Amino acid sequence: MNRIQFGEGGCEKTRKYLDSYISNELMVETNHEVLRHLESCQPCAAELDARTRLRTRLKAAVNAQSVPPELQVRIRANIRSRGSESLGWLPGGWPRWAGAMAATVVVCAGLWVNYSTERMPEVSDRPGQKVYITRIAANLAAILKVGLGDHIHCSIFRKYPKDAPPIEKMQAELGPAYQGLLPVVRAAAPEGYRVIMAHQCSYAGRKFIHLTFERNGSLLSLVVARKEDGESLAGLSPAAEPSGIPLYQSAAGHYQVAGFEAGNFIAYVVSDLRDKANLQIAANLAPGVREFLMKTPA
Amino acid sequence: MLFSKRPRTDEFEAVAMPHMNDIYRTAARLLGNGAGADDVVQDVYMQAWKSFDQFELGTNCRAWLFKILFHTLNHYRRKWMNFRMIKESDEILEQTPAGSPPSPEHITDEEMMAALAEVPQDFRAVVLLIDVEEFSYKEAAGILNVPIGTVMSRLSRGRKALREKLAGLAESYGIGRTHEEGKSA
Repeated sequence: MNRIQFGEGGCEKTRKYLDSYISNELMVETNHEVLRHLESCQPCAAELDARTRLRTRLKAAVNAQSVPPELQVRIRANIRSRGSESLGWLPGGWPRWAGAMAATVVVCAGLWVNYSTERMPEVSDRPGQKVYITRIAANLAAILKVGLGDHIHCSIFRKYPKDAPPIEKMQAELGPAYQGLLPVVRAAAPEGYRVIMAHQCSYAGRKFIHLTFERNGSLLSLVVARKEDGESLAGLSPAAEPSGIPLYQSAAGHYQVAGFEAGNFIAYVVSDLRDKANLQIAANLAPGVREFLMKTPA
Repeated sequence: MLFSKRPRTDEFEAVAMPHMNDIYRTAARLLGNGAGADDVVQDVYMQAWKSFDQFELGTNCRAWLFKILFHTLNHYRRKWMNFRMIKESDEILEQTPAGSPPSPEHITDEEMMAALAEVPQDFRAVVLLIDVEEFSYKEAAGILNVPIGTVMSRLSRGRKALREKLAGLAESYGIGRTHEEGKSA
C-alpha cells in the first residue's frame, strides 16, 4: 500500500483508508496520518468507533455457534478408522510398486476393518447405530459392553443443544438421589473437560446415570449402572488398583472402557482417548464416585 | 524397517482438530444452514487427512484448512449452482438502500446472522475471513486464490453491505441514526 499525505479532503481520504486501518493493514506512515486526522475529527472518530464495535459484535455473533459434538466425534472416528490406510510409514527409497502393493494390502485390510467394526453410521441412522454398537463391542467382556453401549448410544449419537445446560438443569435431570454426584465428578474431572450433559437415561432395557464431558471434540462418559443378577467385574484381570479400588479396562475399536465397582453399582469411564489416559481419568474419578455411590440407598 | 513410522493420525488430530469450530462456523455462514455445513466440514477434514503428507508441520495449518474449505465450497458451488457471482453481487448492492446501522450493542445474534446472510457470498467470505477469523489480507488472498486488491475491494463492499442491511433493520424497528457522518474536518 502507498503512503498518503492528508490535507484537504481529510475526511474523504480517512474514510477511504478506514477499512484497512481497522484491519491493521496500513503502512506505518499512513496509519499515523489516519490517526492524526481521527484525533481532530469527531465524525470520523465516531465512524471508526461504530465500525469497530460492529466488527466486534459480528465476531461475537458468529462465534456463538459451535460445531455439533456428534460431528466432531464422527470425523475423529472416520480419521482414526482410515489411519491404517495412510502410507506415511512407508520408508523413503522403496520403489513405487512396493508402495502400490502395500497400499492394496492396507486398503483391503482397512476396508475390512471399516465395514466390520469401525464405520460410523449417520446420526439419523438408528438401525445402523445398533449394528455399529454390536459390532464394535463384539470382543468386549459382556460386563463392559453395558457401559460402552450407553456411551455410544447416548453421547455419540445424541443431538446436543448448542450450549451445555445450566448446572441446575443437569442436577434436576439427575434427580434428588444422584444430583450430588455432579459436584463430586466435576471436582475430579480431567483438565480442560467441561460437563455437557448429566441425566438419567436408558439403553437396551437398563437405566443409567450418565455424565458426559467434552474437550476439543473428544467426548468422555461416566456411566453408572445398578448391578443386575450378581454382576461383577471380578472375573476380569484388573488393569490397575489405585486407592485400593480395582480398575478394569479393555479396548473396543477406538474406544477405551474402564470399569470399577461401587457397592450395588458398576461405574464405567468410556472415551476415545489412549488406554493410559482413560485409565488415569478413571483412577481420578473412582474414589469420589465410589464413596458417593456407596452411600446411595440400594 | 518397513513399519518404523506410525500413521500420522496423532499429528493430524493435534494440528487440525482445534480449528474445526472455525471451519464449521465459516461453512455454516456461507451456506446459510447447519446441515450443509456438516457435510462440507466432514469433506474438508477427510480431504485434509488424505493430503496430510503434503502439509509441512510448523506452517499455518489453519490457513491450509481454510484453503481446503473454499476448494470444497467451490466444488459444492458447481454441484448446487446456487452461489451468487460477482456480477449479481453488484446488482444486489445497487438495490440496497443507504442508511446507518443501529448501535451494535442493540443487535441480537439472530439479527446479525440474518443481515450477514444477505451480504453477497463472495463479499461475505472475505468479511468472515478478515473480521471474524482475523486472517491478514495476504492470507485471505492465498486462501481464496485471488489478488490482495480483490480482497480489499470485497472486504470494503462486504462491510458496507452489512452496515446497510443492518441499517434497513434499524429503520424497520424505528431505530434512529447513532452518529453523524460525512462531515469534513
